[in-house]
Amino acid sequence: MRSEFIRIYKSVHTWTGIVAGMALFIAFYAGVITLFKAPLARWATPPSNAYGRALSLDEVPALIERTLQQHPAAGRDFQLQLKAAEHLPQGLSWQLHPPGADEHDHAATRHYLATLQADGSVQAGEVQPSGLTDLIDTLHRVVGLPLDSDPTRWVMGVIAALYAMALVSGVIVLLPSLLKDLFALRVGRNLKRMWLDAHNVVGIISLPFHLVMALTALVFAWHDGFYAIQDRLIHGGQWGSAFAIRGSTTAPAAPRDPAAMLPPAELLGRVQAQAPGFRPSALQYLNVTGPRAAVRVWGDDPQAHSPRFAGGFVAIDPYSGKIVSTDFLPGSQSLPNALIASFFALHFGTYGGTPLQWMYFLLGLAGAWLFYGGNLLWLETRRAKAPRNGNDAAAGPPPQRRNVRWMAAATVGVCLGAVCGISLSIVAAKWLHGRVADLNGWHHALYYATFFSAVAWAFWRGAAHAAVHLLWLAAAFTLAIPATSLLGWCLPASGLWVHASMAALGVDVTALAGSLGFAWLARATAQRVAHGPADSIWSARSTASA
Amino acid sequence: MNPFILIGLLAILPGCVAIYLASPNQCWLARPWPARRARIAGLLLWIGGLAALLQALQPAAAGFVFSHWLMLLFVLFPYLGAWPEWRRRVHQ
Repeated sequence: MRSEFIRIYKSVHTWTGIVAGMALFIAFYAGVITLFKAPLARWATPPSNAYGRALSLDEVPALIERTLQQHPAAGRDFQLQLKAAEHLPQGLSWQLHPPGADEHDHAATRHYLATLQADGSVQAGEVQPSGLTDLIDTLHRVVGLPLDSDPTRWVMGVIAALYAMALVSGVIVLLPSLLKDLFALRVGRNLKRMWLDAHNVVGIISLPFHLVMALTALVFAWHDGFYAIQDRLIHGGQWGSAFAIRGSTTAPAAPRDPAAMLPPAELLGRVQAQAPGFRPSALQYLNVTGPRAAVRVWGDDPQAHSPRFAGGFVAIDPYSGKIVSTDFLPGSQSLPNALIASFFALHFGTYGGTPLQWMYFLLGLAGAWLFYGGNLLWLETRRAKAPRNGNDAAAGPPPQRRNVRWMAAATVGVCLGAVCGISLSIVAAKWLHGRVADLNGWHHALYYATFFSAVAWAFWRGAAHAAVHLLWLAAAFTLAIPATSLLGWCLPASGLWVHASMAALGVDVTALAGSLGFAWLARATAQRVAHGPADSIWSARSTASA
Repeated sequence: MNPFILIGLLAILPGCVAIYLASPNQCWLARPWPARRARIAGLLLWIGGLAALLQALQPAAAGFVFSHWLMLLFVLFPYLGAWPEWRRRVHQ
């Protein structure tokens, strides 16, 4: 009876893994890059007078007042950066979304920036910040689909549910031998055993990491649905009214004068008094002329976990200086809020600083390998092997089944296509800047052109050959990232650039290491294709059956 | 970076090595370390490392860093151990 159950769970694990594996590979590979979103944005932002320097806080009140006179729509939600970095503007920035557009739809969002000129006047206009990190973030959040919308998030939710099922069923399958085989990675003639051990080591040891990722991704994808059910079952459909402004049925209050707001230095002083360990990084002004005006002071506490990818915030009334909310203030949250925030922090890796980000980077890459390796295991299990006695040696290797060949081609094309596409899109941020009108559109076009070309190539040439070609292509595109920066340093007249900050140079160094890794994998794969067992989907000598 | 984070991570590293080498499935050495002594030493290093992390981080953050460092090291160790054997077979 027990073996019967194990067989059922093994089947569930196999098929949920196969269905979700390639999408999860893209989500994890893009996700580890998203961890370093800020350094990548710094790397990709061209040098500009409007970016890279922090604005003096003394100049801010005049800038706010004059900007809102010229652009009242900005008063709904605008930001002021407190730190200096290549991608951060030294002025007020705000975004406008077309009516009906999804809040996550970066492509439809229009960005504006107001800066203070030397003569005291304000210059405001539309800007086009690099959409590179938004593209990679979108690939991460909706498993490689082109648009972050409700339907694509629902797809992500299905993938996350399959991921969770694969994790649970995989653990149940391994339970009988869990302790006996812990840490086992047996390299030998039995390739299936080796791939299984390599898969299980990552899957079992980092199971808590993956469970958190699966469950949080599920909630991120379907939270609107959860809220709707909660509203109907618990709040009787009246949840929305709980957040309505009291007395909203009466005549609207007269607009407030932003000139009467407390200066930023005063607001920051009050926040520091409330939370001495908090490090402010940005001010977000909300509805400054309305009755519920608020400033969110964003930042982080290096000792605590942050509830959002951008950190956490304390909300303060800009007219009275009263602290309105500390629900999202890292290190000072109530126990229930800190508990909920910990799930976000565990997904985003927003605690522990840079060492933790690198741990997430490596665990994320191991996760991508887990899904890729799962597919390799599926293929190894189903390959047609040559008879051991050698009597049929003259007949050549047995033909491989079509479903095995197609799954191998899809695995290689999808996974390596995503890798190549992301690297090429990163390189394009510097090469196409100032040369094309819609750079962000080009980022999308280049990614998907590369991705689908890689998939087509893998099906046309077969998995074995295509794996070698695509790995070399990934190495070349990834090497082009630091090479582009080097060219910008040697030949500034080329229009390319290099930033000297550690964050931006870190992108180049990481890409260089990644390209060497891909080159090594390409070489090793080429050796196996040429000299490995012929009765394998990964051999140049393998043959096909209908 | 707070030096206590570095001290904590560096203390946990040999603790994980000791616990890994006490496993019968370890592949770094010809024979595993004596299980009881190695595990006790590993646990003591873990406790010391966690105490250092708690000097720099709030308990939740310290616990999260501790557990993720453990996961990463225990994923890497078997691969590091299998690497020489894998290379030997590839070159054969």
